[in-house]
Amino acid sequence: MFDKILIANRGEIALRVLRACKELGIATVAVHSTADADAMHVRLADESVCIGPPPSKDSYLNVPALLAACEITGADAVHPGYGFLSENARFAEILADHNLQFIGPKAEHIRLMGDKIEAKKTARKLGIPVVPGSDGAVAPDDNAMAIAKKIGFPVLVKAAAGGGGRGMKVAQTPEDLALALSTAANEAKSAFGDASVYLEKYLQKPRHIEIQVLGDGRGGAIHLGERDCSLQRRHQKVWEEGPSPALDAAARNKIGLTVAKAMQQMKYLGVGTVEFLYEDGEFYFIEMNTRIQVEHPVTEMITDIDLVLEQIRIAAGGDLPVTQDEVVINGHSIECRVNAENPVTFRPSPGKIQQYHPPGGLGVRIDSAVYQGYVIPPYYDSLVGKLIVHGKTRAECLMRLRRALDEMVVDGIETTLPLFRALVREPAIIDGDYHIHWLEQYLAG
Amino acid sequence: MARQPEDKADAKISKDDSTLIRELALLLDETSLTEIEIERAGLRVRVARNVSIAASIPANFAPAPIGASAQPAAASASADLSKHPGVVPSPMVGTAYWAPEPGAKPFIEVGAKVSVGQTLLIIEAMKTMNQIPSPHAGTVTQILVEDGQPVEFGEPLVIIE
Repeated sequence: MFDKILIANRGEIALRVLRACKELGIATVAVHSTADADAMHVRLADESVCIGPPPSKDSYLNVPALLAACEITGADAVHPGYGFLSENARFAEILADHNLQFIGPKAEHIRLMGDKIEAKKTARKLGIPVVPGSDGAVAPDDNAMAIAKKIGFPVLVKAAAGGGGRGMKVAQTPEDLALALSTAANEAKSAFGDASVYLEKYLQKPRHIEIQVLGDGRGGAIHLGERDCSLQRRHQKVWEEGPSPALDAAARNKIGLTVAKAMQQMKYLGVGTVEFLYEDGEFYFIEMNTRIQVEHPVTEMITDIDLVLEQIRIAAGGDLPVTQDEVVINGHSIECRVNAENPVTFRPSPGKIQQYHPPGGLGVRIDSAVYQGYVIPPYYDSLVGKLIVHGKTRAECLMRLRRALDEMVVDGIETTLPLFRALVREPAIIDGDYHIHWLEQYLAG
Repeated sequence: MARQPEDKADAKISKDDSTLIRELALLLDETSLTEIEIERAGLRVRVARNVSIAASIPANFAPAPIGASAQPAAASASADLSKHPGVVPSPMVGTAYWAPEPGAKPFIEVGAKVSVGQTLLIIEAMKTMNQIPSPHAGTVTQILVEDGQPVEFGEPLVIIE
């Protein structure tokens, strides 16, 4: 087991990782930019190292600084959290070169799933159903129109190097295709440094359903059920729940076992999430995230498995905590991502939290690094915290969520709490009857 | 009993003194201090622990020279120094060395006059040595890091006035 882990991240996930380390008796090193010197996880860590000025590229993405921090503290492993360097295969390799353990998947799998075209090919080879689309990238010379017509309009133009909901343009009719292709390619070039695009069938009202997996790197892998993350704004998840209101046990088992088998064949190491669009009873693979995800607590609440702790144990050579048969989905869980944004305009609202009261009680969990008096810096994402609620049934969970949202106080900055208070009372949400465009349609009035 | 005049050649450790030294040594063990120095009428005692500056030391550790009460003062003193107009903060994470190599003469000493760009220290990270240049000309009034001390980004290294 590791003696000392350097947490290469910030905010709520850094605190989350710190908590798992402490429960495992592992010493912790918090690295931070000058803007995060007062962060909660920095205060709680055994050691801290300031690694740079506020800009991420000079601090949290600064590989030499991170390596130097490992060197001077004697850390033997690095947990990358999510975002930042968590899906940077090169970073994983550099750590290995320096005899430091990267707590995450094998670099080859990070690389494989990071290329969305290769990921889709791999999924197809492993028997995972995929969205009908172009077979690989669509070059400027290719007959894109013919490919698109074969798929059937409307089609989605997607950046090969994209992901996380970025770099996508819809072409509703053949007339839209040329513009969608050129716009998507230009945006992809500037955002990801790679103009390659591919085409996919555009599903009208799918749900976003993802399967959590856990692999030991030696051919053992299990699935831990699904999360429904259909409620999104600008492709960013806002509300996630598990199990999905749209799936029954049979559907869950079928897709879960398909995914688990694929992970076994890959000899996947660590945690991962295989994301699907689900429409009319059919699953369509869109991408795989080779990291711990923001919404991992939803799965933790319904399976009673500490995913970050298991990440660390598995990275240290440990076995899977349970067999597939021992995985039990218990009750229902919903997570709300509370952001420091105006609930109507979504304009960012950094600043000082004057009053903070997190809700509590049975089945209520807050994953947040803020505290009363904390100043949310303007340089990073706007997540204040995640409110995660568990209930024996979805109805109980919704009542508990409503109660917890009403109780929660975050004053001094604007937050999206009012949006969640409204959503939890919305008939469609209460019925679980929504899809990936629902929230934007709701917000548009 | 009349006090014996201080005479280094004849000075012997009295029973009271050895009890005091034992207590100080115990205090060292029980706390995370590396040095305790006590002075009172006719007697000064300093008890120190050998510390090897290795990777296990927290990057922002500052040795406490005089007893436990000085430690908070030392911490706030270095915090004030980060705002000193003559401060040279560390531009990187690594280990600070006074000299270009072990056994060589340090680049600077307190009182030395330096010019812009003159090397003050080396900070080593991952086997690469980085020379830290002086941002302005002046006189070195304080050297704030020990030889071989781990430093973080922004940590005050030297005061040039």
